Amino acid sequence: MNKYRIMVIDDEKIVGDMAKLSLEQDGYDVETFLNAEPALERLRAAPFAVVVTDYKMKGIDGMEVLRTVKNLYPSTKVIMITAFANLDTAIEALRGDVHDFFPKPVKIKELKASIQRALSADKT
Amino acid sequence: MKIGVAGYLQPLWKALLGRKPAPLPFDRLFRLFRLVLEKNNRAIEIITDMGEKMGGDYLFDVQYLRTAYSELSDTVRDSLVHFDALTQGRYRKIDEAFGRMDALARSAIFEAAPSLNERVLYLKDISWDLSRDVGGKNAHLADLKNNLGIKVPEAFAITIPAFLDLLSHNGIDAKLAASDLAGGLSDEEAAKIRGLILNAEVPPSLAAEIEKALVKMRALHGENCRLSIRSSADEEDGDFSFAGQFDTVLNVPAEKQAVLDAYRKVVASLYSSRAIAYLKQPGLAGARPGMAVCCMLMIDAVASGVAYSTSPSGGSDTLMISSAWGLGAAVVDGQTDTDMHILRKGGKAEILESKIGRKEFMFAPVDADGVSRLSTAADLRDKPSLTEDQIRELAAAAIRIENYFRKPQDIEWAIDPEGRLWTLQARPLRAAEEAAPARRLPDPHASPVIFRDKGIVVQKGIACGRVFLLRKMEELDHIPHGSVIVSRYDSSNFIRVMPHASAIITAVGTPASHMASLCREFRLPAVVNTGDATSLLRHGQEVTIFAGDEGGITVYDGIIAGYTGLRAQTTMDDVYEFRKKRYVMRNISPLNLIDPIMDNFTVENCRTIHDILRFMHEKSVIELVERARYGGEMMVKKAAVRLDLPVPVDLIMIDIGEGLEAGIQKNAKKIPLESVKSAPLKAVVKGMLAPGAWHSGAVALNVNDLLSSVMRMPDITTGAADFVGYNVAVISDEYLNLSLKFGYHYTLIDCYCSGTPKNNHIYFRFSGGATDMTKRSRRITLLELILKEYGLNLTSKGDFLIARISNLPKADVENLLEKMGRLLSYTRQLDAVLNDDDSVGRYAEKFLSGNYQL
Repeated sequence: MNKYRIMVIDDEKIVGDMAKLSLEQDGYDVETFLNAEPALERLRAAPFAVVVTDYKMKGIDGMEVLRTVKNLYPSTKVIMITAFANLDTAIEALRGDVHDFFPKPVKIKELKASIQRALSADKT
Repeated sequence: MKIGVAGYLQPLWKALLGRKPAPLPFDRLFRLFRLVLEKNNRAIEIITDMGEKMGGDYLFDVQYLRTAYSELSDTVRDSLVHFDALTQGRYRKIDEAFGRMDALARSAIFEAAPSLNERVLYLKDISWDLSRDVGGKNAHLADLKNNLGIKVPEAFAITIPAFLDLLSHNGIDAKLAASDLAGGLSDEEAAKIRGLILNAEVPPSLAAEIEKALVKMRALHGENCRLSIRSSADEEDGDFSFAGQFDTVLNVPAEKQAVLDAYRKVVASLYSSRAIAYLKQPGLAGARPGMAVCCMLMIDAVASGVAYSTSPSGGSDTLMISSAWGLGAAVVDGQTDTDMHILRKGGKAEILESKIGRKEFMFAPVDADGVSRLSTAADLRDKPSLTEDQIRELAAAAIRIENYFRKPQDIEWAIDPEGRLWTLQARPLRAAEEAAPARRLPDPHASPVIFRDKGIVVQKGIACGRVFLLRKMEELDHIPHGSVIVSRYDSSNFIRVMPHASAIITAVGTPASHMASLCREFRLPAVVNTGDATSLLRHGQEVTIFAGDEGGITVYDGIIAGYTGLRAQTTMDDVYEFRKKRYVMRNISPLNLIDPIMDNFTVENCRTIHDILRFMHEKSVIELVERARYGGEMMVKKAAVRLDLPVPVDLIMIDIGEGLEAGIQKNAKKIPLESVKSAPLKAVVKGMLAPGAWHSGAVALNVNDLLSSVMRMPDITTGAADFVGYNVAVISDEYLNLSLKFGYHYTLIDCYCSGTPKNNHIYFRFSGGATDMTKRSRRITLLELILKEYGLNLTSKGDFLIARISNLPKADVENLLEKMGRLLSYTRQLDAVLNDDDSVGRYAEKFLSGNYQL
């Protein structure tokens, strides 16, 4: 069985490292990036099933990641996480067709459940 | 260790009886008390939240850590202001203590550089808060020597700031920064860095400081004294052992040039290919440790070795000692057979098993410098290297060290010619973890067994692969990925192949070697001391090995399908960035100040913010109690009296407003429950006295014994000290603040119980314990089950529980308080019977159904 590929973009290494360890334990193939530019470059080369991205990053931010992903692969699901959660950012993200939106710290179990939902939605 | 209540209260008495500061009006005193409690409660909530969010179940970032810590720091500062006012500045040192902790936490959270100016420090001058500057090994040794009184040889540290000076003085830091950007050092670059360090100039000011320390060392221990120069890297002896990864230079003359050479050699080993390989394991990826060095007086060791305060693969109730003649290298390098003793822990450690090995080699210092491997004298080879008394002394020291650090320890020790025991280093021991607990042994008939139950398992697990018979170290680089390495000796050099090997089997060696520690860190199945079993394996043969709990390994011929790649999973603790962030919690959440009656219950022993909060709370409560006795005003105006109960419960009540009937005799020894008007206190006591809640025929204690254990007062050293104690209820008609000490457990109930539902709250806190975490956690789980059933909001972590509820009618508050009273009595009695996890649910259910039988 092919493993699902998950991309995690967060400018803090700890987020990517923790996400990678826990998602790999569930059998996903995980690639992490500290900023969006190389991540999008990688995306252009190969599709990912789910992209988990920080909202607020230097350079390209989460909203731009969302738009680019949706342009490239409309079926790829994007999950946004942010330490600066407020209603406006959530609304903005939802309008951009984000699959899910979590304030940080985000419970890993909830993130995993969201990824599973994204993948099963993908199948239908 | 105990100093009794008199000693405990001495500073307060001195102040009260001596300078007699003008007492605060009681109303103000109580207001300040409430403010301290309120702030402390908030601070503890933040700590608990941080513990939860940073416990591995959440993705968090530095932003969270910074925000949460800033709020914590502000809250503690506010509390300190109120506390200083409450105690009229008698514990001013606590502000300084918090200032140090705060600076430490901030430097870690906001990632500031080390702040220490000292480049060279003797162990006696190293306090716990300097561990970032002196490295793990030095910090642990200083802790053992200064705080635990363990015999540690004279030593001084050359600090991490000194290391940074060395790098920048020689332009090496710029090269390292460049390689960091390029994704880390290649082997060639690392070799260049090593060369640069070996030839580096030690900054003259640092060299002068080292010389000064050596002059002192020679003055204390003679012109010809020798030193061992060991590494003490950033995280070394912390969560990761770095066992055997860095160079140690032994038997160095205490002279400037020799020590500087050895210093450079040890520092350079930070960039050895072994160390670089070690840094590639998942938990350390991204780490760039700094290197402090420990210069320790050499002990002329008759025997030395390693003690594991908890046997890594046995039960938690045994400890293990490995020993050999001469210097410890014989044990830690796994070069020769050693003596091994297993002891059962407990009051007086009992020797369960002793195996005397044939110690063909030993290591001894040579006259000029360095050490050499010698053949052991024929009459010593099979002779035990330790006497029974020495084994027991070692065991006792190991248990003390484990208790102090609250983690199993890997301890290197030596015995000098006078028979004195010295501790050379102590670091946390990683236990042999199960690789695939859910798996069962394969059908034994599925494959032929090559051999069964051989050797000593150092890391449990199942592995498959081709046998690589290693004859010479040079062959290491030719070992294919996935091999089962079979070797006569063990060696920490195997680190280079550990990330890719399937398993390691050695003929000799001990579970106390560096290699063994590394295998546990890499979770690489490994077995040592299999004797001639290795001769049963052929080079290139495919095998499946099972290294289980007992009886060594079993090796099957061929690869059994389904058992490949079963190395134990890494955990969040193995993520370097996670550990680094969580490291901050070390200075925040552990509670070291447990018992206020112990003489270590001082500001000086506050090591964490939790300790500061505990200290403030304790002293604030005592302040109220003592003011009642010595403050005059409160004694006259407010009643501070013992509650007379039909059971020997020593509870002091301080009435701050209509908590007791008017006209209570001010000098009454005890007052009856009927005279209590405080609705919340009445409710709690009613629950505690509910028939059956505390009575039990099943526990082998009589009722009086049982009750005095339920709420025992500390010894009162003077008969006149009527109000000394810390089972205290501060009451008004609508308010209760109840502090109870149950053995080593503390309970706090703070409650408003008025006719206005929106003002009402119950705050219940349960914490502490002297037993092991499993037992403490069971009790917490039981409380959780019950309090959740009652509708309270819960937060818990480890042995700590907060339950709260607010905004409810008076009758409901009273009802809940009564239930809590029952729970307090009931849970105390349960201590003896919560022997397994299943019992928790059973007893919770019984309690909820009103059945208090044990």
